[in-house]
Amino acid sequence: MTSKSEQHLIDFVTSQRWFGSKTREVTHSAVVDRATLREEDPRLELMLVETRFDTGTHETYQLLGGDEHELDSLADPRQVRELVHLMRTNTKVPAGEGIVEFAAIESFAGTGHELREARPVGAEQSNTSIVFDEELILKVFRRLEAGINPELELLRFLTEHGFENIAQLAGWYAYAGRQMDATLGILQAFVSGEDGWDRALATMESEPERFLDSLHRLGEVTGRMHAVLGSDSDDPAFAPEETSAESLGLLTATVDEEIESIFMDLPEDNAELEPIRGRGEEVRERLRMLTNLGGTGRVIRHHGDFHLGQTLWADDDWVVLDFEGEPARSLPERRRKRSPLRDVSGMLRSFAYAASATALMRGTSPPVAWEERARAEFLDGYRKTIDQHLVPSGASMDKLLRVFELEKAVYELRYELNNRPDWVKIPVAGIVRMLEEEVPV
Amino acid sequence: MSDPGNWFERDPDWFKKAVFYEIHLRGFNDGNDDGSGDFRGLADKLDYLQWLGVDVLWLLPFYPSPLRDGGYDIADFFTIHPDYGSIEDFKYFVDQAHQRGMRVIADLVMNHTSSDHPWFQASRTDPSGPYGDWYVWGDDDTRWSEARIIFLDTEPSNWTWDPVRGQYFWHRFFSHQPDLNYDNPEVQEQMLNVLRFWLDLGLDGFRLDAVPYLYERDGTNGENLPETHAFLKRVRAEVDARYQDRVLLAEANQWPADVVAYFGDGDGDECHMAFHFPVMPRMFMAIRREDALPMVEILESTPPIPSGAQWGLFLRNHDELTLEMVTDDERDYMYDEYAKDPRMKLNLGIRRRLAPLLDNGRDEIQLMHAILFSLPGSPVLYYGDEIGMGDNFFLGDRDGVRTPMQWTGDRNGGFSRADFQQLYLPPLMDPVYGFQAVNVEAQLRQPNSLLRWIHRLIALRKDHPVFGLGTYEALRPDNPRIFAHVRTYEDDIVLCVHNLARSAQAVELDLSRWEGLVPEEMFGRTRFPRIGELPYLLTLAPRGFFWFQLRKDEAE
Repeated sequence: MTSKSEQHLIDFVTSQRWFGSKTREVTHSAVVDRATLREEDPRLELMLVETRFDTGTHETYQLLGGDEHELDSLADPRQVRELVHLMRTNTKVPAGEGIVEFAAIESFAGTGHELREARPVGAEQSNTSIVFDEELILKVFRRLEAGINPELELLRFLTEHGFENIAQLAGWYAYAGRQMDATLGILQAFVSGEDGWDRALATMESEPERFLDSLHRLGEVTGRMHAVLGSDSDDPAFAPEETSAESLGLLTATVDEEIESIFMDLPEDNAELEPIRGRGEEVRERLRMLTNLGGTGRVIRHHGDFHLGQTLWADDDWVVLDFEGEPARSLPERRRKRSPLRDVSGMLRSFAYAASATALMRGTSPPVAWEERARAEFLDGYRKTIDQHLVPSGASMDKLLRVFELEKAVYELRYELNNRPDWVKIPVAGIVRMLEEEVPV
Repeated sequence: MSDPGNWFERDPDWFKKAVFYEIHLRGFNDGNDDGSGDFRGLADKLDYLQWLGVDVLWLLPFYPSPLRDGGYDIADFFTIHPDYGSIEDFKYFVDQAHQRGMRVIADLVMNHTSSDHPWFQASRTDPSGPYGDWYVWGDDDTRWSEARIIFLDTEPSNWTWDPVRGQYFWHRFFSHQPDLNYDNPEVQEQMLNVLRFWLDLGLDGFRLDAVPYLYERDGTNGENLPETHAFLKRVRAEVDARYQDRVLLAEANQWPADVVAYFGDGDGDECHMAFHFPVMPRMFMAIRREDALPMVEILESTPPIPSGAQWGLFLRNHDELTLEMVTDDERDYMYDEYAKDPRMKLNLGIRRRLAPLLDNGRDEIQLMHAILFSLPGSPVLYYGDEIGMGDNFFLGDRDGVRTPMQWTGDRNGGFSRADFQQLYLPPLMDPVYGFQAVNVEAQLRQPNSLLRWIHRLIALRKDHPVFGLGTYEALRPDNPRIFAHVRTYEDDIVLCVHNLARSAQAVELDLSRWEGLVPEEMFGRTRFPRIGELPYLLTLAPRGFFWFQLRKDEAE
């Protein structure tokens, strides 16, 4: 039996966009800890809500509301401003079984004056973000996971080590208590600019050169980001590590099995698949050739979900956004060190998508060799700034990059087959290109 | 941070769906080049274990020990053998394992200690002191003569004379392993402290070694006594009260009817899991005789277990292939078939690894794994068997099945950078099973290797909770060479058919209860003809098997 207030809580949480387990049955929901952030009217309560599923598992969510009836106050500018105010004053608020700690970055000057406007950012999946006066952006994490939040961790590290192509970190707040230690929200400078993906599409027909030229800079920024992330051998969370003896074998086996598995049952009725149909063994053979390489370089902390949509062109330079990593992965998985070339391959695949998206969405074809130019510009810039100790040398780097690209293309193929059959041609073209080009020597 | 509660969603059934992997720490990977495996070395191999897909790592004893019984002779319960590293190394390893979604359980010997343990030294030198009553002492070496001797090859008696104290001490295993006196409440309390100590460090549970022998009573064989069960209930209550989602796995080499008692009463209030010992030798018997009957019978005679309990199943482990739970005739058969060289025998068993037992036959190794993974219980793999490692029965005791893990074809098989002479045991170097022929690196790269096949098998099992949670129902086809059964969990129905014969076989199965469903082969996802009214005909390759998921016909 669930009480009326519990049912209200369940109904509220499960109907939210950020509620991640829509296919599962919630059996119980309860506020497991709370902290009063402001006593006087309008009252602001932070609630940690645990939802239990019929499978015996649970998830924890963050609610910011007035009371049991008003469960979401983030649309109210007065209420969200209070969160920023608490950060500026480095306030610690006791919770029932823990503490909520607000913190501001001292060097950040942009939080000095009174905030006026607050507008929510739409179309978010797992978080809620609010922009203040087009100067600051607050990201409130909804589903909470115990442990160090990679986004806060990476932003702090990059800030401390002088990497400027990010939205400056202004503050954060976190919970520490019996339930878990978890980051609750992050405040950053709001950078207005043009999203890299939108910019690619917008310039594709009219002025492709302007965008392609800027990709050289994006490569430089990416190389520098990796060089910085791999620069501190005294910090165990960031120190570059050698890969284990099996790492290349494990990578090969993993990708090989993904190829084998997807080619096992390619749907018969999709004509877009014709260029690769029946070529599974050829793809696996190509993988074997590509994985004959001298070394895999080192593993470091990296962006983790790197593509054009995570970049912003602002004031004639690139800004890298969203260091959360792939949301589907667990938190420790997202904090795992891996080859920086995984980020690079993510961006290269993003170019392939941009080139094809114009065709799919507007019916126009991209300029001749647009993707090849994009790749060349980006990689050229990347090679200029990356610390050579982090990546394998010469042909080994090219091969490893292609292995990661192949892995991504196979993943995309599965995703598009399940979700957007019209888009299948993009990963198919990527796989064909890898079959047809020379193996780097 | 290594508290598993931080990494795992609460799931009271987790161990029923898990695949276990047993690790001989000394033989797995040497992290500091001293010739002996250690926690740092093991932590370096976690990516491999995560890829392999195993859920639980079971570590053989890693406590300080004179190592006269592979570490099962513990000399201090509260720290790590210096060869393996420090408590900090242990915590680092557990934390790293948890981050990769794997749990860690450890062997714990409650029944006895090493004779080097300070408790025993105090007990023998100061009979009236605080430890005087911590062991089982007697003036008479004929008491409890009903208790069998387990290590027949080395021990003439369960009593050994101690000239220092001038009394006999009781030991169910080696004479350098005196039994603790569980009639002493201080011993009980201290053993609970040991459990708390490791659980507080983040350990996910224990494999409880030799649990049937904790107490001695006149007129009994000293096994499975009510007092032993009462103490295990106390252990379980402590775990349930303070540590969620941990597991206690009993090693009780007994008949299933006696082992079931170790799950306790009700939903289970003693151990969560216990090894099913008798099914193992019967699997080897069945494949050699080409007859499913030994397996069908032992599973039929296995009593139901509490809802919260699960069997642990294995093909091989760090011990000899034990033949205690078979009849004399069956034992003779096993010796004839599997221990052609008398040096392969040890105590009541055969000291060999899986691959050599099966003459390194790839089909046989796969078939045995398929059967293991299809049975009701959680499979426990033994390190090295996933690549088909061999053994060396010229080494003493059970060392022949505990040689270094073979990672690469490089020096020392990639196990250690120490000089060969420094290694705790020589790695295998023979042309068939040596590290140049059999190693992880090569098998990762060969798409059709045993390792890659085992990896797929584990992944398949984990995709289907029915293997861990489902009911088991034997089909009894007329062809005795076919071992076939159906597992069911909610609407997931899986049909497993195994051909034990060296020759191709046809079999007709009565599947009328599932008429209208369509069998889909689970590895290749190939659809087979719809099940009709007539018996379902299948043909199987020599030592071949099929697993089918019985699905609704989508055409309808």
